[in-house]
Amino acid sequence: MKKITLLVAAAALFLGACASTPSQTHNKNDAIGAITAAEHQTARAKNVGYEWRDTGKLIKKAQEALKNGQYDEAVKLANEAKQQSTLAIQQQQQQANAGPRIN
Amino acid sequence: MKKFLITITALSMLGGIAMTAQATPQTDLKDFRAFFFKKFPGVKLQDYGNGAYALDADRRFEWEAMEEFPPYEEGVEIGEKLFTKYNVGKCFKNGGLGIKQNYPYFDQKTKQVRDLERDIMACLENNGVDVKAEGIKYGKGKMAAISAFMAYNSRGKKQNVVISNDPASLEAYNDGKIFFYAKRGQLNFSCADCHMYSAGMLARGNLLSPALGQTSHFPVWRRSWSKKTDAKKGKHDPLGGFGTIQKRYAGCNKQVRAKPFKLQSPTYDHLEYFHTYMSNGIMLNGPAVRH
Repeated sequence: MKKITLLVAAAALFLGACASTPSQTHNKNDAIGAITAAEHQTARAKNVGYEWRDTGKLIKKAQEALKNGQYDEAVKLANEAKQQSTLAIQQQQQQANAGPRIN
Repeated sequence: MKKFLITITALSMLGGIAMTAQATPQTDLKDFRAFFFKKFPGVKLQDYGNGAYALDADRRFEWEAMEEFPPYEEGVEIGEKLFTKYNVGKCFKNGGLGIKQNYPYFDQKTKQVRDLERDIMACLENNGVDVKAEGIKYGKGKMAAISAFMAYNSRGKKQNVVISNDPASLEAYNDGKIFFYAKRGQLNFSCADCHMYSAGMLARGNLLSPALGQTSHFPVWRRSWSKKTDAKKGKHDPLGGFGTIQKRYAGCNKQVRAKPFKLQSPTYDHLEYFHTYMSNGIMLNGPAVRH
């Protein structure tokens, strides 16, 4: 009975440990790559004068997540930043000849 | 019939292109005004110098009450002292008094648009003032106070911005015009979206002021800026509420979630050039109190 109890406890501990440290889909290189891509796209948006206000903050958060080993989070944040800058560049292209809508 | 339709379509397209090509600062100004006169019939040109208070009687009453004991008065006095201390008057025509109506202007030598604050800064530097040590920077504080004193001394003068024959002057004007009408930021708003098409409507409890006449009352004294500065310093700062028009541009950009440009960057200089030209003929009445 004592052996069974010990086995159940060990199994519970093992499963608990698995549950508390979920495996990550992305690794460190993925995170670094995503951040670099976001930085590159944001530099392009800045060059055309259309950088959005919070994109830089997202990249900083992604870098923090990378430092803390949270690679999935870092990739998610970096991708969001990249998407923002892609939209900002599109916005610049659409608005390059903006004028009044008076009539 | 088909040929006729094609001809008509082609002619209308050509007409459209020709109209765009023919847009000049003068026609822009005419169309800009016509838009506001149609949107707010009964509001006269000079009333636009009062911003949102030209559109709402209750708010105007409250604003006029504030103007009886203006919170910027002490700041203007400090601005006058700084103006004298740094010998600013010697850098400007007429001793720097009654001249703000000609700003911003296109400088033929440098081929740049220069606004009042840029010329004040150049003057301070030429006079050997250590601006860093004195804590003078664009947008607020002592700079805005000197500018406010000069605005105060230009009250009643009609704005008279000139777009010169120099192609670079027209280019700067057109650059500012595009900026004014271009949507930007995560919220995808242009200056015109708020201050033309939505002027007179409410945004988070604030009445959106018309773009026409906005430049007449800067630098402004904003109660929100004053409160923020006082809270930060833990005491009342008589210059805390002052801010220049370019500081406001940066604030507007932030509000639509666009990254603002540096103050006195060519981008904001060109915007100020276009924006002020649209208010030519409206009397200066700055500094003015705003929420």
